[in-house]
Amino acid sequence: MSEPPKERVKYIDTNLNLPYHYYAGDYKALYLRALKDKKILGSRCSKSGKVFVPPVIASPETLAPCDELVELPHRGIVTTFCVVNVPVYGREIEIPYVVASVALDGADVSLYSLIQECAAADVHMGIRVEAVWKPDGERQGDHTDIRYFRPTGEPDAPFESFIHRL
Amino acid sequence: MKTFPKPATIEPMSQRMNVEFPYKRSTGEVVGRFLAGLRDQKKIWGLRVSRQGVVVPPQSYSEVDAKAGGEWVEVAETGVVTAVAEVTRPIEGLHPSSEPFAFVLVKLDGADTALAHVVLDRLDRLRVGSRVRATWAPDGERRGTIRDIEAFEIVD
Amino acid sequence: MTKLRNVAVVGFAQAPIVAADEHHTGPEMLYPVVQAALESAGLERSDVDYQCAGSSDYVDGRAFSFSQVLEVMGAWPPVQDSHVEMDAIWAAHLVWVKMQAGESEVAIVCGFGKTSEGSPSHVLNLQLEPFYAAAIGLDPTSTAALQASAYMARSGADDRALAEIASKNRAAGAKNPDGQLREAATPEELMATPWAVKPLREGYLAPIGETATCMVLAVEGRAEKICDRPAWIHGVDHRIELQALGSRDLSRSESTTLAARNAFEMAGLASASAADVVELGSTNPAEELILRDALGLPASARAQGGPAINPSGSAQCANPLMNTGLLRLAEGFRQLSGRAGERGVPGAKRAVVHASAGHGLQQNIVWVLGTERRWS
Repeated sequence: MSEPPKERVKYIDTNLNLPYHYYAGDYKALYLRALKDKKILGSRCSKSGKVFVPPVIASPETLAPCDELVELPHRGIVTTFCVVNVPVYGREIEIPYVVASVALDGADVSLYSLIQECAAADVHMGIRVEAVWKPDGERQGDHTDIRYFRPTGEPDAPFESFIHRL
Repeated sequence: MKTFPKPATIEPMSQRMNVEFPYKRSTGEVVGRFLAGLRDQKKIWGLRVSRQGVVVPPQSYSEVDAKAGGEWVEVAETGVVTAVAEVTRPIEGLHPSSEPFAFVLVKLDGADTALAHVVLDRLDRLRVGSRVRATWAPDGERRGTIRDIEAFEIVD
Repeated sequence: MTKLRNVAVVGFAQAPIVAADEHHTGPEMLYPVVQAALESAGLERSDVDYQCAGSSDYVDGRAFSFSQVLEVMGAWPPVQDSHVEMDAIWAAHLVWVKMQAGESEVAIVCGFGKTSEGSPSHVLNLQLEPFYAAAIGLDPTSTAALQASAYMARSGADDRALAEIASKNRAAGAKNPDGQLREAATPEELMATPWAVKPLREGYLAPIGETATCMVLAVEGRAEKICDRPAWIHGVDHRIELQALGSRDLSRSESTTLAARNAFEMAGLASASAADVVELGSTNPAEELILRDALGLPASARAQGGPAINPSGSAQCANPLMNTGLLRLAEGFRQLSGRAGERGVPGAKRAVVHASAGHGLQQNIVWVLGTERRWS
């Protein structure tokens, strides 16, 4: 035969498996461990005074260090949100459900969390919410320690109070 | 808002994780037929391309001037070693053997470029200039990959 | 030669090169380095009009890894930013090009990579052609050993020749406070270390290391105000080999010769031997010998006279991925600007800097730096 087979090998399966050993860094380590003690940590910019949560070592705006760590309240405002109607692999939660951006009181950026204990249709921008934690003894120091946020029933926050904290 | 006192020492936090990428790569005409030659014919094919001569293993173009196409040429399963790297401690999950082995570049008889592969035995006798011959994965176990050539063995 | 715009290296800072920084993420390692580089140059971030980083998603183990460092390089108000998935010395080249185009006057270049968090062998395997080379499990130490064996077979260099080069670099590295491997070793001691991948011994290679780097570059008119002794870029070029390891002559570095020829012509430099300092991005002694060959430099560690070669100890004493090349350019800057301390080459006026990327010196960049402006 003067040439290779016409019927070629069309694909090669290449199953890459790369080992990593990620380090959280001290700020994220403190943040995650504090969740175990029902504390939400942020860091304050030494120049602008803005509070970042989770804490960052420097402000992306001013590039000044954020040396001071602060404890944030467990209440805040839904700034923006979405209603999820498609099942996500690995997430066992009844659809539709709400994922929201929650600006804690005193924080200048928001966290992402689920909103539960209310109908998806009742969630709106400006609604006041509070954290619902896993019970004592079950918290592991990771982001699932806050199970979700739920409405507090307080009056809505005005739009201007959170539009810059999305 | 209350200041949270920073501890004097902070225990590092880390997480081991294996990241998987299940790629399915398209071979194209030339690579695909070369691999089919290994699997179905136990033959090693080269492609004579512009300004490079007979390239083994082949690509669908000349690496020198990027001209497409070429002429298929069967090369021998014997050749000469042009470079040797002797691995004393194989890396798990990456290297093709858990015992000491050698990576080699082999210029097959009839080829103008060298093929990267492995030698598994008689490493003490292996050096640049050694004559070697391909050994094949058994019939039914060749999958259409470069490992259908199991290894190269030293020819006395 | 066309008259080009004079551009200079005017500042540099780095984090200590360590086996693993367990207390900081990559961006957190970089933050104080950017601050230190700006401070050394007396600049505010707002004085910088362009920034470019070099890093690798596979090294960091996350997609779009470069986006995480924008926060510490400067992201707001929106800045002109670019990135190369290469060693940061190629980011410096992009900055130089941008300045030639008249689009930047003061820029920063950053390198980062948490080498310790992944497995460089697994990660760098993926740089190879997937069907024939990556598929047999080649790693960078093995391809370096293939190259070393090809060079040794062609040149007749033996293990001792490699050990002597390695020992010379270790002695230099011991004087470099910014290095990682800082213990001198005799050729005999190094020849007694086990094979990493034969013919390369463990004593000939750098340990795994990581750092973060930041360099400041500026054009004529700005550079002199920022830095007392700028290192002016006289020439630069980079070239690449054929992709398949078996398609090229691994025992030579033709792309280095080509890049050097073009960079030297741009610089008006007769040869590498005419420089005072040559800093090579060689990660093992065989690479250094191949590069010496490509640049017409002596093939022995014992040769007298000529430029100082690898006063930093070279990448053989510290190879923090994504930063290794930029550290070579930094060494050229430090040598020419009187910032090299004990290892400084007295009266150095011109430096040749080389760096490499990929397996077996796949791609090579050559720079010429000088204490005087090239074009005026």
